[in-house]
Amino acid sequence: MTEANEKAAAAPLNRNGIAIDDTFAEAFGMSGTGIIITADTAKWARQSAVTMTGFGTSVIGCGAECGIDYEVAPENTPDGRPGVRVLVFGFAPNMVEDQLKNRVGQCVLTSPGSACFNGLESAKRISLSGGPRFFGDGWQTARKLGDTRYWRVPVMDGEFVIEDKAGVTTDAVGGGNFLVIGRDRAGVLETCELAVAAIAEVPDVITPFPGGIVRSGSKVGSKYGAPASTNEAFCPVLRGAVDSELGPDDKCVLEIVIDGLTAQAVGAAMRAGLKAVLDAGPQRGVTRVSAGNYGGNLGQHHYHLKDYLP
Amino acid sequence: MSALKLKLRAAPSRRLDLSPLIPGRLAGLSIAEIEKIAIYAGPEGLTVGDCFAVSGAAGDALHIEGGSDKFDKVGAEHAGGEIIVDGDVGLYAGRRMKSGRLDIRGNAGDCLASNLRGGIVIVSGSAGTHLGGPLAGEKDGLAGGTVVVMGDTGDLAGERMRRGTLVVKGRMGRNAGARMMGGTIIGEQGLSAGAGVQMRRGTLIGPSLEAQSATFVDCGTHELLILTIMAAYWRRTLGDLAPPAIASAPRRLMGDLSSLGKGEILLTEG
Repeated sequence: MTEANEKAAAAPLNRNGIAIDDTFAEAFGMSGTGIIITADTAKWARQSAVTMTGFGTSVIGCGAECGIDYEVAPENTPDGRPGVRVLVFGFAPNMVEDQLKNRVGQCVLTSPGSACFNGLESAKRISLSGGPRFFGDGWQTARKLGDTRYWRVPVMDGEFVIEDKAGVTTDAVGGGNFLVIGRDRAGVLETCELAVAAIAEVPDVITPFPGGIVRSGSKVGSKYGAPASTNEAFCPVLRGAVDSELGPDDKCVLEIVIDGLTAQAVGAAMRAGLKAVLDAGPQRGVTRVSAGNYGGNLGQHHYHLKDYLP
Repeated sequence: MSALKLKLRAAPSRRLDLSPLIPGRLAGLSIAEIEKIAIYAGPEGLTVGDCFAVSGAAGDALHIEGGSDKFDKVGAEHAGGEIIVDGDVGLYAGRRMKSGRLDIRGNAGDCLASNLRGGIVIVSGSAGTHLGGPLAGEKDGLAGGTVVVMGDTGDLAGERMRRGTLVVKGRMGRNAGARMMGGTIIGEQGLSAGAGVQMRRGTLIGPSLEAQSATFVDCGTHELLILTIMAAYWRRTLGDLAPPAIASAPRRLMGDLSSLGKGEILLTEG
């Protein structure tokens, strides 16, 4: 590398007044599935989906990472009613299956007027009805149409209809991310909201944390033996006390974590999110964008921020 | 789609076993080889060439020009492609068919689609008794696929049916769906007496039922989401032949309580 090139590489990237760290997000291979929840109205389909995806932020503590991908128009759902596509991610297909059993059983089966269908075409399949259909206590009946089997489970407002299997992919990616750093907490949050809204337009991805945004970025391990603990290098209140990654004026760091059914989908979401942040500019106090990684030795997927800039 | 054509030379005087004449078995054979295929097991040893003028090329489609109620096992074990018969067929048409389409432009004899596994069988005329039923000693009747009969059917249509769909546009004989274990039977003109007798599971649908058995209980009228899903599936697979959509909540009769009792008869006109 020539001296000029070395200088160019060392110089921070800057777009629209926001610095971009020359770093990468480190993401992991995961298993993922998609399901379609329908109901009599879009309101109740969404209610069921929101309930089912609750407590689904981190696979470490929640067993799965879950979120709403998009709303499905009635003409595109199996029963002609409004629907919502939900994605569920876990370390392995059997882990996703266990989570579906509990979450669909407790949150979709119980929701008025709901039905639940496969939302991912894939050669590899897992049980979707494995838990909920047995709620029928012997009164459940199956109906096979072509290659698809549906279960009818009698419930107090009629019948809960659920497809027998759901597709699952082992090519999913979890943990795509970027950090938004700035001088104003409210402004950084507003900017992150814009990014989450932009990512929501990308199919096959979710941002599983509350409102799509994480305020407690973590590092691996803990002095207490926990699998993860606060990432002190990005905690503004510890600046000076630790080997901080933050500048003297930085007051807030928020992270957006992205899970997707494919590496390409996560990349597209990274690009959409970064564009929204950079388009918003520094007016809300955002100064810098970075990403979380573990040195590159843990995750199979590396998303270098410079490759995903608009 | 290339088509092999078999034109009937004269009305047969004996029963013919046409089960060898399915696209999957004929693929790659020359016309001369096809003409030598035996289709009668009796002492005369009739072959395809004795009974039909063969033309075209063996491929995904077989077109039999001319029909007879002595054509037995037409499309038996059929597994892909299309068979068209311009006329009547005899016994066991479509027996144990796995996939593809069998289009009978005439009437069908007894045991049509016996133990059907998949694919679509369409009969423009009427069908005999034991439609889709099992043969003696067999466990299941219709086990998948779809049968549409534009005319009437004889008794015991859908006997011991396990999966699949049977649509009858005309009138159905007695005891449709007897000992049924699954699947759906639609009688667009109504269900005759004995419908669903000793059924364990499955669904019979019709505007009316000739005589309700005491071993079925009236569960009232209900909107059933599964009917919407089934209607969409039938529209996709059958097009214009799909049964009409059910507009209002059907009356649900559950039974047969003399058996397992998990089946249902849905009456669309109350």
